Amino acid sequence: MIKGLLKKDLYNLASYKTTLIIVVLFCSIAIIGTDAIYWGSVIIGIIVGMISLSTFSYDEISKSNKYILTLPVTRKEIVLEKYVLAIGATILGGLLGFIVTLLVGNIMNYFRPDNLIDINIETLLATSVGGMFGISLIQSIQIPSIFKWGAEKGRIQMFIVLFVLVIIGAGAGFLLKQSGLSVDMKKLESILNNFGLVALILLSGLMYFISYKISYKIYKNKEE
Amino acid sequence: MNNIEVKNVSKKYDGFLLDKISFDVPAGAIVGLIGENGAGKTTTIKAILNIIKADGTVKIFNKDVKQNEKEIKQNLGVVLDDSFLSTYLTPKYINSVMKEFYNDWNEDKYYELLKQFGLPKDKLIKDFSSGMQMKLKIATAISHSPKLLILDEPTSGLDPVVRSEILDIFRKYIEEDETRSILLSSHITTDLEHISDYIVFIDKGKIILNVPTWELLEDYGVVKCSQEEFSKIKKEDYVSYKKEKYQYEVLTSDKNKIKKKYNISSIDKPSIEDIMLFYIRGER
Repeated sequence: MIKGLLKKDLYNLASYKTTLIIVVLFCSIAIIGTDAIYWGSVIIGIIVGMISLSTFSYDEISKSNKYILTLPVTRKEIVLEKYVLAIGATILGGLLGFIVTLLVGNIMNYFRPDNLIDINIETLLATSVGGMFGISLIQSIQIPSIFKWGAEKGRIQMFIVLFVLVIIGAGAGFLLKQSGLSVDMKKLESILNNFGLVALILLSGLMYFISYKISYKIYKNKEE
Repeated sequence: MNNIEVKNVSKKYDGFLLDKISFDVPAGAIVGLIGENGAGKTTTIKAILNIIKADGTVKIFNKDVKQNEKEIKQNLGVVLDDSFLSTYLTPKYINSVMKEFYNDWNEDKYYELLKQFGLPKDKLIKDFSSGMQMKLKIATAISHSPKLLILDEPTSGLDPVVRSEILDIFRKYIEEDETRSILLSSHITTDLEHISDYIVFIDKGKIILNVPTWELLEDYGVVKCSQEEFSKIKKEDYVSYKKEKYQYEVLTSDKNKIKKKYNISSIDKPSIEDIMLFYIRGER
């Protein structure tokens, strides 16, 4: 049943083909022109990840939510499908960003041996995973907001939630500083270097899981 | 054997109450749900489909809809007036999506219906006329040969030719298998006169009439009389009356009885719409 919902969303997204090609081309050109090549992978990742959320808008415009509830599919599956799509898009965006950056960099190095672009695979990997983490954070906040308030209103509420999170984060940082607790930056750095990527992936998984639980709770009782 | 049993279903919204609705949809029958806009027809259908949380019980194919939702919906075809899978897809994509939902989805039947209805396979649904969109919704609803069709306002906003075509589709669908049923809501009551076996009339969230259609058309009558003649008719012999400019119009649910009792020579045959208006606007 999830397959049917996924197909519906992917067909809806088919109109984004051109947008996606333009984005990849644009980022490729940007990679050629600048030393900060790693940004290309982040931008591609974020755009692909965000495109997946526009399926909510398609559902809203077609008023398809009510119809979908008449099909042999449970509310749990409806919520789960949106996460499968979001996570899939995040992974695809990350991979695409990584591959495009690597490919364009190497092609340019081949044609322009006098002006080599220095691509550090580890840094590129870290940037891609970092970008994926960023998009998973946004999705984890935005999907429950959309289930609660709808695609249009949900966007505004998401910015409010994001703003509140930043304030809380900044507040916690400020309190930590005020309380005089010292953080061993070197130790933190070494932990991040060794386990950073794994930690980010695990954290993303945890965020998606919590977000899914919240979304399901909201949608379980929602009336169309 | 009933395909749908609705018992004491209630739902409260701000300023609206669906009040302990009960009715059945027998196998082999077409039941027409009629009423004004906002009377509670769509709310009733949403409650039956478990799209909204309502009190009371709904059984479809003798099973509680809340507990057996997925299984029941495999055998259900639904047409909603204002909602479909997506308007950004083509009928070809709809086939590809729907076959993932229904175990008995019949691709050949679907394409045959598209051909029969003159619908293009590769055009975006949002560019279809409203008649074409409705035909597509109906083709989609019956391509897995469901036992039960639930249709919310399937003929509203359509011209008479398309409406008649659509009613023919429903008639054929029922004739193919006598265990099938259709629950059909409409405010265009003339459609139901031709097709329905039972009429359930909802007004302000309450069922005020639930009778076989033939009974409405055969037994009900409208007496046109003067004030003096009207004053002789006892209250228990009529449903309601309307005071017109020069005469009284009286609706009775037993025209033969009133004919004999008051020696009335001519009684008009009301349409379902007339009867509906007498119930809503008439006085008692």
